[in-house]
Amino acid sequence: MDASMEGLLETYLFETNSLLDGLDELLINAEKIGDFSEDDVNEIFRSMHTIKGSSAMLEFNCLMEIAHHIEDLFFYIRENGIDSLDQTHKSELFNLMFKSTDKLRSEIEKVENNEPLETNIDSFVSEINGLLKKISGESEDSSAVASTASAAGTNTDSPKAALPLPDTADHVPYFIHVYFEDGCGMENLRAFMIVNALQERELKFTYYPNDVDSNPGSAEKIVADGFYVGVYSEEDLKKAATVVGESQNIRSYEMLENEETSETDQSEPEAKAESIVHDPASPAVSAAPKSKPETPAPSKKKETAAPHGAVKQDLISVNLSKLDALMALVGEIVITESMVTSSPDLQGLNLDNFNKSARQLRKLTDDLQDISMSLRMVSVSGVFQKMNRIVRDMKKNLNRDVRLTIIGENTEVDKTIVDGIGDPLMHIVRNAIDHGIEESVEDRIAAGKDPQGEVILSATHTGSEVIISVSDDGRGMDTEAILAKAARNGILTKPESDYSQKEILMLLMTPGFSTNTEVTEYSGRGVGLDVVKKNVEAIGGVVSITSELGKGSCTTLKIPLTLAIADGMEISVGNSIFTVPISNIRQSFKATEDDIVLDPAGHEMIRCMDAFYPIVRAHELYSIPDACTKIDDGILMWVEASDRSYCLFVDKLIGEHQVVVKPLPPYLQQFHIKDSGISGCTILGDGNISIILDIAHVYEAARGIF
Amino acid sequence: MAETIDIVENKVEEDAHNPKNVQRFLTFVSDNITFGVSTDYVIEIISSYMICTLPMVPDYIKGIINLRGQTIPIIDIRLRMGKMPQDYTATTCIIILEINDISVGIVVDSVTQVLDIDLDRIAPIPTQNQQELTSSMISREDGSVVLFLDCEELIRQ
Repeated sequence: MDASMEGLLETYLFETNSLLDGLDELLINAEKIGDFSEDDVNEIFRSMHTIKGSSAMLEFNCLMEIAHHIEDLFFYIRENGIDSLDQTHKSELFNLMFKSTDKLRSEIEKVENNEPLETNIDSFVSEINGLLKKISGESEDSSAVASTASAAGTNTDSPKAALPLPDTADHVPYFIHVYFEDGCGMENLRAFMIVNALQERELKFTYYPNDVDSNPGSAEKIVADGFYVGVYSEEDLKKAATVVGESQNIRSYEMLENEETSETDQSEPEAKAESIVHDPASPAVSAAPKSKPETPAPSKKKETAAPHGAVKQDLISVNLSKLDALMALVGEIVITESMVTSSPDLQGLNLDNFNKSARQLRKLTDDLQDISMSLRMVSVSGVFQKMNRIVRDMKKNLNRDVRLTIIGENTEVDKTIVDGIGDPLMHIVRNAIDHGIEESVEDRIAAGKDPQGEVILSATHTGSEVIISVSDDGRGMDTEAILAKAARNGILTKPESDYSQKEILMLLMTPGFSTNTEVTEYSGRGVGLDVVKKNVEAIGGVVSITSELGKGSCTTLKIPLTLAIADGMEISVGNSIFTVPISNIRQSFKATEDDIVLDPAGHEMIRCMDAFYPIVRAHELYSIPDACTKIDDGILMWVEASDRSYCLFVDKLIGEHQVVVKPLPPYLQQFHIKDSGISGCTILGDGNISIILDIAHVYEAARGIF
Repeated sequence: MAETIDIVENKVEEDAHNPKNVQRFLTFVSDNITFGVSTDYVIEIISSYMICTLPMVPDYIKGIINLRGQTIPIIDIRLRMGKMPQDYTATTCIIILEINDISVGIVVDSVTQVLDIDLDRIAPIPTQNQQELTSSMISREDGSVVLFLDCEELIRQ
């Protein structure tokens, strides 16, 4: 695949994925009201049309086929009005549409992963066609077929009369006359595929145009006049007809007798011409050419970009790596700016004009930074809308009446974070419905609740972080059951009576824990919440669970707004400078040797707010020379990360800074530097490097050397 | 690309006594041994840089430096080859290498010169003199020996 194709494919994937996302959202909303509006039908029709067109262009036949048949289905609905469907048909239509978008999506995924696409989609296509047949009604269907048959019959007259049939054709008694679907493209190759298929059956036959394999120009001829296959006996004709019938992208084919060679029945050759319409969606197909002229892809894009005409969005899609590069560059500018303005060469000089310009520069770089940050911000609505789909599927499959309420879906967060919360949110929502909401409506009514369960998905901003919470009004979590189960699984680390409510709920996120003894399709494999915790921590977030028995539970994710820039506290240990993310710091304080107590194993602890916390000495952990070793000389920093809380002993605090987070060089990855509590580095105003500590891992690393 | 290789080969055949199969190598000294590294890998040579030490890494990783906004890990080639450490002096410098898109800096005792070396004359190192990270050597006319640094080996995980 060459470079231009690569770009085309990227555009295709982006476009198709966004169309499918749009479709999903539309379907969910439509299903809620139980009906499609006229706009919806048009929208689906248009989307499918675009998918069909672009898939055909890139030769993803299976995607094209599915989209094509759905398009036919909606063409019928559009022509006859949605009201012609009764309720059962509508619900069938919804199920089919959900299934179709899933199918399309799974095929798109295969394209993304460079896997071969499914080739046999006949059963799926027949399912779509089956529904179309059902809604259009048998009687209408047969009449429609008849009408096309006659239309096709008359059709054959003219081309045949004018057709310069090759000489060989005159000597064969039977023909099959094949028309391909409008706009399926590469008709000559499709015809050649039929030829190959016939050859495999070892039939004796001729075909016209006979240069389909070598002459691309023959495609036009086939579009105009159809493709002829000539056979020598009636038996072969039937065999050939089945082969043709099994081929793809055939609009219609008919079996004809050659009048010149056939002496038997010259009186009414037309009546003999048996027209078989391959596609039961014939009314749509025969009418379709008018409504879907095969315009090249760009104009189609325009059509979908502005589906309602009036709405015009000035959006462009940019490669994320370019934004990352911009971000990095802006970070450099900010740092360089402060290097220039606080240069030691300027010390003691009184430069009014310089200071004025420097202030102006600072303002501009701040604005630049804000804007480049905002470029990476996207709203969480995409992820939230996906949850709608999950709730809908689970509702159907688990037979529970649940509604999903979404609050604050327009909250914007960094793109990497949006990508990162998709999977965790899915797990949590599934858990909420599967474990949270009561199994039977009676239970809910008995508890005095609304028979319909509710799951609330909300997102809010708080300064530097975004809080996403999933709460349900189900039965809540039974802390005793959790504790008992944890004890059974042997994951308790202290006596059962020592566990607080919060700690018990934290047990849920321990690997290998699952309260449902039965494994369902949606949850219960015991990989749910610990994966959630890991994924959320990977993007710098924290998960917490609250629950009240009988009233429901709430899972909260606290995630920093952006990963690229963080507020950090600079600290020094010996000659090294480290940065601790401000979000991890609870408090910094001086202590004396007398405040320190030792636990039985000899580890140092200190009392903060009526609880004892272990002390981690940074200089010991990292073996830094020339650092303060006496508690009195340094400072203790009470830090917290996910469920870890401890005090870090450092020499002194230098100050608070906004830092641009840089990953460590790739060469260092082999030394498992992440495990030693280092999450990245940042470049300070004076050009030196400061190492950013990952508070959770610092503790793990420290425990390792205890 | 294929064409240029052809040309070089042809020339060699035509005139075996005046070989053109020459590559430029930067030579440097570490622990009194002269090493050569292909200039294809060399980005630049810097001296006196502020190295930020990293905790919990092997001793030969001296830390990272900030080179115009890029963070580059620094390897002390002495320690990497299992030699005794030596205090950095005025001649000590860092050679920045880019090997398969990975940038690293190596600390060497001093940089000497850039040499044109005929690739055909490069010979494997006798096993008893085998050095870590080197695979081949060349004896020069003045009797000195240059060992070639195996850059791929240097960054091997």
